[in-house]
Amino acid sequence: MATFRFQRIPSASSGVAFAARAAAILLALAVAGLILAATGADPLDLGWQVISASFSSSFGLEDLALLVTPLILTGLSVAVAQQIGAWNIGAEGQFYAGAFGAAVVGLFVPGPPAFILPAMFAAGLLGGALWILIPTLARAYANVNELITTLLLNFVAILLVFYVSTSVWRDRTANSATPRMSAEIPEFWGSVHWGLPIAVLVAVAVGLCLAFSRWGYEVRLVGSNPSAAKYAGIPVRRHLIAVMLLSGAIAGLAGMLEVAGTVHRLQGGISNNYGYLGIMVAVLARSSAIGVIFSAALMAFILNSGIILQTQGLTTSAVLAITGLILFLTAIGDELAHYRITRDKA
Amino acid sequence: MQLRGIAKYFPGVVANENVHLEVMPGEIHALLGENGAGKSTLMNILTGIYQPDAGEIIIDGYAKQFSTPVQAIAAGIGMVHQHFKLVQAFTVAENIHLGWSDTPRRASTHVLEARTQALAARFNLATRPGARVSDLSTGEQQRVEILRVLARDARVLILDEPTAVLTPAEARELFKALRVFAAAGNAVIFISHKLDEVLEISDRVSILRGGRKIATENTADCTPRLLARRMVGRDIVLADMRQRAPGARPVSATPVVSLENVSALGDGGHLALSGISLDIRAGEIVGIAGVAGNGQRELSQVLTGIRPASAGRILIEGREVAASDPAAFAESGIGHIPEDRLHSGLAPALSITVNAVMREYRRPPVSQGGIYRPTAATALAREIAAAAEVTIPDFGMPVRNLSGGNQQRLVARREIRIASKVLVAAYPSRGLDVGAINTMLRYIVELRDAGAGIVLISEELEELLNLSDRIAVLYEGKIMGILDNDRTDIDEIGLMMGGRMRISGAA
Repeated sequence: MATFRFQRIPSASSGVAFAARAAAILLALAVAGLILAATGADPLDLGWQVISASFSSSFGLEDLALLVTPLILTGLSVAVAQQIGAWNIGAEGQFYAGAFGAAVVGLFVPGPPAFILPAMFAAGLLGGALWILIPTLARAYANVNELITTLLLNFVAILLVFYVSTSVWRDRTANSATPRMSAEIPEFWGSVHWGLPIAVLVAVAVGLCLAFSRWGYEVRLVGSNPSAAKYAGIPVRRHLIAVMLLSGAIAGLAGMLEVAGTVHRLQGGISNNYGYLGIMVAVLARSSAIGVIFSAALMAFILNSGIILQTQGLTTSAVLAITGLILFLTAIGDELAHYRITRDKA
Repeated sequence: MQLRGIAKYFPGVVANENVHLEVMPGEIHALLGENGAGKSTLMNILTGIYQPDAGEIIIDGYAKQFSTPVQAIAAGIGMVHQHFKLVQAFTVAENIHLGWSDTPRRASTHVLEARTQALAARFNLATRPGARVSDLSTGEQQRVEILRVLARDARVLILDEPTAVLTPAEARELFKALRVFAAAGNAVIFISHKLDEVLEISDRVSILRGGRKIATENTADCTPRLLARRMVGRDIVLADMRQRAPGARPVSATPVVSLENVSALGDGGHLALSGISLDIRAGEIVGIAGVAGNGQRELSQVLTGIRPASAGRILIEGREVAASDPAAFAESGIGHIPEDRLHSGLAPALSITVNAVMREYRRPPVSQGGIYRPTAATALAREIAAAAEVTIPDFGMPVRNLSGGNQQRLVARREIRIASKVLVAAYPSRGLDVGAINTMLRYIVELRDAGAGIVLISEELEELLNLSDRIAVLYEGKIMGILDNDRTDIDEIGLMMGGRMRISGAA
């Protein structure tokens, strides 16, 4: 009798890992297609609609680019915190705080765009960093779990932005948003603004910094084993604080780019859940800063497909279910890449 | 109980091949072998954790197949692992009754504790049924583990490196209990790589090497030298290593590092070291003896700048150190082989390269002006691995994939490179086999001959006596006395480890 058995191997080869991911995504699409077919829709036709709407028109590509920009940054924010061993669940809140900071400058500081835009940029970074400051200090000095504190502050930021945009700073013509800001990030291709190259650049810079700087080496060591880092003479607490603040600032930058580049107003719900989606982007990228660019692109495509499918009459929940299915199977695929099947003869 | 032709293959590794083993009722059977010789795999097969790829297990004449540990326990085979599998937050009684079909369904604390008391009396293993496991000493925890196995009517008791965590007195207690258990017609399999205790406790000894059984001998016919040779496959010199090689640097007149009345707090805020004064000279080995947990960890951390001293002064080459800063200590030439390499000396999930350059990444060639250069780092890692005689297929592989012995060699070599003044070596041979221990001790002796001062913390008295010039004995955070190796013996050190002060002026 021959039996088959799973055997775990410690590190999966990159080829197997890639194949497992591809298989997971294909399987998810196949399952989704079967379910759609069962409800009477034509999955192949829907698939074609998604592909052609996303890639065959410049509008589709522009939409993708606008979705990718914030996702790269929120994903990077979570990934950077992961590098030092922290879970930043608060990218959502920091996104709002960055958007809020940028809006304060954009709405109330007079001046030419050449001055206002850099000021908004700085305010966005600062807003995000300030929003993670308390969780950071609590973790660094009192060992309070940042998972809870960053998460809870999300609600504060979301409601704060809701409040100011629907009451105190409300535009008289638009009911639930601030007036339009005059300073705008210039667009370089259709509606795509310079935020996209900035986001890619930031991700590449952070990635290079982690791999090729002394600081990056120390951060990786602290993230992997704090007591070994302490033994090697690395100031563990200082690095933790710096990296968490950086993580918040990056998420804040995402909020600033959204305000100054895409929406031009501050409004409730401006984040589109980019902060929470950033967690998935970071997990898919296995916390690699460069990998975030690609997983953000995949996530943007999934989101965009969802929007297109909705125009084809699918409900939002069906779209969410397909998204979840892809992520779920990808996670299983990642784990399975660590196994191989052996056959033993009895 | 018999094992016939057992084989187990892992990808790229033969863990066991064609192993025959017979264990008789009433005997204590030692299983001797180096790290990676296949002892643990063999026992995991016997206890149902792994399934053999070939061969069979025969118990009382019947072939058995264990697909889970539960079946092995039902067949009377129980194992006490090196790392205890107890629930720390539960009491002794609760741990004994956990996952046991004999546990009464509606059991009150009182009933469980009474049952535990009865079991303890029956097997002559004193325990405190109501105590929480986290409050017990390691020796007591081990007794609970053994009691738990025996309570399930084990007739074959397997012990994996049982004395590694015990004081000599606790080990003697254990041996006594094992003899009683075997005398009642049961069998004990005793895994170890300590030759002396194997000779002391066992009736027969089987030697494994490279996954195969080399021989089974009657212990009475064995000598340490014979066993060591069988185990390693070559002759090993276990000898006095205090002789200096010709051309070795002499012991310096002034100390390189001195502690003056140093006290330090432990992790829990209690006074872990009090009033320690110790001079370390270049070219000498200072041994630190003592039962683990008497301040050794704190002492090694204070000496390497990881833990601040709460009182007293630390001098490096006569200059007082202002603040404890591990980087500055390392920079001034103090290396440190920590007691728990995986926990504090390595980042297990990171690559071998990252781990190998942990001490030298701050300076060229690994980094220059804040830039970290992975190729230069790998070149340095290659150099360290070559010095450590470790062959590494891929330097990007996580360091936890290396065997314990190879990890320890890399750490030792990494630290020796920077230890121009002092090397603090905490339990450098713990968990290693005879071959690897010899390599480790050779490194230390070579470094001494090259003119560094060595602080050797160990619980192996023979190791300390073989290497050290002077031996300081730690007891409850205090130095009970500093003995000249030429004018002391194991008994005197043993007394001081137990808390007796040296009778000054006597002898």
